[in-house]
Amino acid sequence: MSITNLLENWSDFRQQHPSDDRPHREYKWAMSIDLDSCTGCNACSVACYAENNLPVVGKEKFAHGHSHHWIRIERYWDNDGREFADQGAQFLPMLCQHCESAPCETVCPVGATNHTADGLNSQVYNRCVGSRYCNANCPYKARYFNWYDYPTTDNVWPEPMNQQLNPDVTVRGKGVMEKCTFCVQRLTVAKSNARSAGRSVLDGEVQTACQQVCPTGAISFGNLVDPLAKVGKQWMKQQVELNKDKQAKDAEEKAAKLRGYRILEGLRTYPSVMYLEQLRESAI
Amino acid sequence: MIENSFNRRGFLKVLGWGGATVALSGCGNTSVEDGKEFVTSYVQTADYIIPSIGTYFNSTCAQCDAGCGIMGRVREGRVLKLEGNPKSSINNGKMCGLGQAGVQAHYNPDRIREPLLRNGDKGEAITWEKALGLINEKVGGVKAENIAFLTGGISGHVKALLKNYLDALGSGHHYVYEAVAPSIMRAANKKAYGTEMPRLRLDKAKVIVSFGADFLGAWISPVHFSQQYARFRKADNGERGVLVQVESKMTLTGANADRWLAIRPGTEGILALGLINALAAAGLSVPEDVAAVVREYTTDRVSKDTGVSTEHIGRLVALLKERSPSLVIAGSAAEGYAHGSQNATAIALLNQVLGNVGKTVEAPSSIPFPQMAPATGNRFALQSLNDNMAQDKVKVLFSYGVNPVFTAPASMKLKENLKKVPFKVVFAHYMDETALEADLVLPLNSALEDWATVMPEYVAEGAQLNIQQPLMEKLYPGTLGVGDILLALLKQRRPDEYKGYEDFYSYLRSAMVSNKGALGGSATDDDTFWDATLSHGVVKLAGTPVNMSGNPSAKGLVVPGPFTEDSAYPFHLIPAVSASLRDGRNANEPWLQESPDPLTTIVWDSWVEMHPKTAAKLGVVEGDIVEVASKSGAIKAQVYVFTGIHPDVISVPLGNGHEALGRYAKGVGVNAFKILDSVFDKETGELAMHETRVKVSKAGQRVVIVKDEGPAGGNQMGRKIAVRMSSNKVNLSEEV
Repeated sequence: MSITNLLENWSDFRQQHPSDDRPHREYKWAMSIDLDSCTGCNACSVACYAENNLPVVGKEKFAHGHSHHWIRIERYWDNDGREFADQGAQFLPMLCQHCESAPCETVCPVGATNHTADGLNSQVYNRCVGSRYCNANCPYKARYFNWYDYPTTDNVWPEPMNQQLNPDVTVRGKGVMEKCTFCVQRLTVAKSNARSAGRSVLDGEVQTACQQVCPTGAISFGNLVDPLAKVGKQWMKQQVELNKDKQAKDAEEKAAKLRGYRILEGLRTYPSVMYLEQLRESAI
Repeated sequence: MIENSFNRRGFLKVLGWGGATVALSGCGNTSVEDGKEFVTSYVQTADYIIPSIGTYFNSTCAQCDAGCGIMGRVREGRVLKLEGNPKSSINNGKMCGLGQAGVQAHYNPDRIREPLLRNGDKGEAITWEKALGLINEKVGGVKAENIAFLTGGISGHVKALLKNYLDALGSGHHYVYEAVAPSIMRAANKKAYGTEMPRLRLDKAKVIVSFGADFLGAWISPVHFSQQYARFRKADNGERGVLVQVESKMTLTGANADRWLAIRPGTEGILALGLINALAAAGLSVPEDVAAVVREYTTDRVSKDTGVSTEHIGRLVALLKERSPSLVIAGSAAEGYAHGSQNATAIALLNQVLGNVGKTVEAPSSIPFPQMAPATGNRFALQSLNDNMAQDKVKVLFSYGVNPVFTAPASMKLKENLKKVPFKVVFAHYMDETALEADLVLPLNSALEDWATVMPEYVAEGAQLNIQQPLMEKLYPGTLGVGDILLALLKQRRPDEYKGYEDFYSYLRSAMVSNKGALGGSATDDDTFWDATLSHGVVKLAGTPVNMSGNPSAKGLVVPGPFTEDSAYPFHLIPAVSASLRDGRNANEPWLQESPDPLTTIVWDSWVEMHPKTAAKLGVVEGDIVEVASKSGAIKAQVYVFTGIHPDVISVPLGNGHEALGRYAKGVGVNAFKILDSVFDKETGELAMHETRVKVSKAGQRVVIVKDEGPAGGNQMGRKIAVRMSSNKVNLSEEV
């Protein structure tokens, strides 16, 4: 691979989206999260710690905003001035939205964060110089910076806790940015297995750690290109189009509404995560 | 594929094999580069081990008593991550955060690594031979009735061995104690339905009214109920069930309710009877004796007593009338009072009147092997042990799977009474508060290193025997499994019977194999049966449904009126059971400490929850340190203000406030168990966990609360981040 090749075929390497004329070829990883099923139990978050070698930073660093939960549960109240939160809370699992047109990618001075051919927003740790511009530019606050060298910090992974570290995932050192990868280590294995078998990854063949653990099955994940994939069917049914910053369905006045939406869509980030609105019964 | 993109083969060609090996090996914490470790290749690997490929082994989660099936990913001899076992009907491949942290219990740096014998204030490492010899000598030197064995919930072959050991000693003193068990509900269910733990079918219900049962968070079998909840919310036909939660302090389940009703503490039974009365008036057929009892509970009176508006009572009645079957559940919040049994009975009565028994309340299966059936515990057992210790009736005490010094209220004086026991043996993973009081501490294998069978109290279908098997070699040579210890102790007493078993594994295998007919393996040979059993991780047993008695009767049911005010102690204290910390035994697992509480988003600490009105009355704001004082003691913690709590109530979470246990737990937060008053449920004698009255006073300082929510405190400031709509606007049946 020469530099000439790289420059001549730049558009093949620089995945630019949205791109109606250049749709995704084999894979486009995407997610949908049903907020009416999500109970806010935090299992996804802990599973992510286990899978992705996230450091436990402790109370003091947590207070400084240094926590590393790649998927976190945001909790909102909608009391409307009532005395009690009598319609419960609104829980929302927030993770990297793997935007097709990611604000973090354009500002990285060293190209450490960029888009893969599978539609992932990837973070190349050994390129990252720690400018943290990406973090400043992320509207979802889904990026986490290693302010300390956690592998050598006391009580983060004391012997023998370090034996739990997942060998498929790098342990990040001081000064690099990190975030949700859609469990790229699992995707890589699944793709490799599928390629050996001469096919594409089947729906359900690979699960992210958060999806696998979720007690209510609120998270779906899969390949949007695959017409059989549940996630693609969900997006289609909800009439949420990846490459639109305004969904046509939102303009229509219909009796039965659709629940699918993407967060801060108007910023033209084209997120790969669709949420389904929480529901509340009106009869009570 | 992109034509010019490099594939793996091309990549390897470019780099050459040597380079590729470096590039493909993990970076991680390996110190191969420094020469501190040597890379040794597997010259002769086991058949199924391929370096760098994870293998999954099935086992059973031991983080709580729900007994979920797990599969551990094992790579190069280390267990890395746990996933749910899809073959277990309890959790069907799913897990909770608490279960995920099981690996941190296993790899915990604060585990005890060898037997310790008290020498003054210190523990001195001794050999197992000496430790077991010492136990033999001590139990031989006292009368059998002076030996007591205290355990948590226990089942399976370990329970059978324990019983045999106690029989061999000639003592029947086995106390089963669970700090936060639903024991009052068990008793009330037994009375109402004829079985302690009926099967609840949330998925079949169209309306669920839960009186403080946190079935999504910390109640009985949360992962199982969460799965049912998902089907309840989105049935195959697109119908969406309605959840109404009635409680004084919002639980995780309450936070997911369509309507959360803040009720005056302790008046849950009144509301249940009021609902029966209103349903009868609306045309539901109610037996005459029941109707007579509930007649005086008019909606106006009930609304006045409970603080729930007549409007909401009316809507709830209409909902229950229209949508059937429904399901009414009594949880710990309704039971935690001196009249807890009455509350639970009234709530069960509502369920019966609604005709839910047999529809959403089903009969569980009988358990084929009663000697392995789960022994469930309560606080009453701890109270009896405590009384016996106070009267010097206990000379040798064994303690396994419990931490009573941490979980007993200070008013019980348990720690003082323990000092009267001349020889205390504690089986422990950590030096917890109880192990610190021991004369001999026996270090246990972690749950991921140990053999056992587990029969969960709540099983989704049929009966089930779970296998717990080691997922890796022991980390420390000096630890032993509880089964191994019991077997060694039995060999001292009944050598002829047990000398044939080299270790607990051989005992377990032989016990299982000799019963393979009853365990569904009659057609296979021993090895095939055993391998299949280990491979599946669960043995499904045919059980016949037990008989349920379902005649609603209000005989003897008296629900007292609401509490009278106590001007000296104006607030009710609700000790809240959190989904991750439970009774505190898991507090030394850092993932759980750093996992924010779902409602407050607070990490690494305890807090005092109160309603904004209460805070205004007390003149405190978020972060103020207050003293919460009951008649039995006082604790200090930070204030968190939110609207998910009744103004007469303040709530402090349980689980933190350890003085020992380990580096992640010690000194974090305060222990609300300590200040609970000794008030007991009148019928069962259980500690009434919610009866404690407290006063709250400002203690001076103010801190910044360490929490995950932003400064807006859960307000979206008009942005559409988490969006909610009314369920009648959506057609769920058309969704994928």
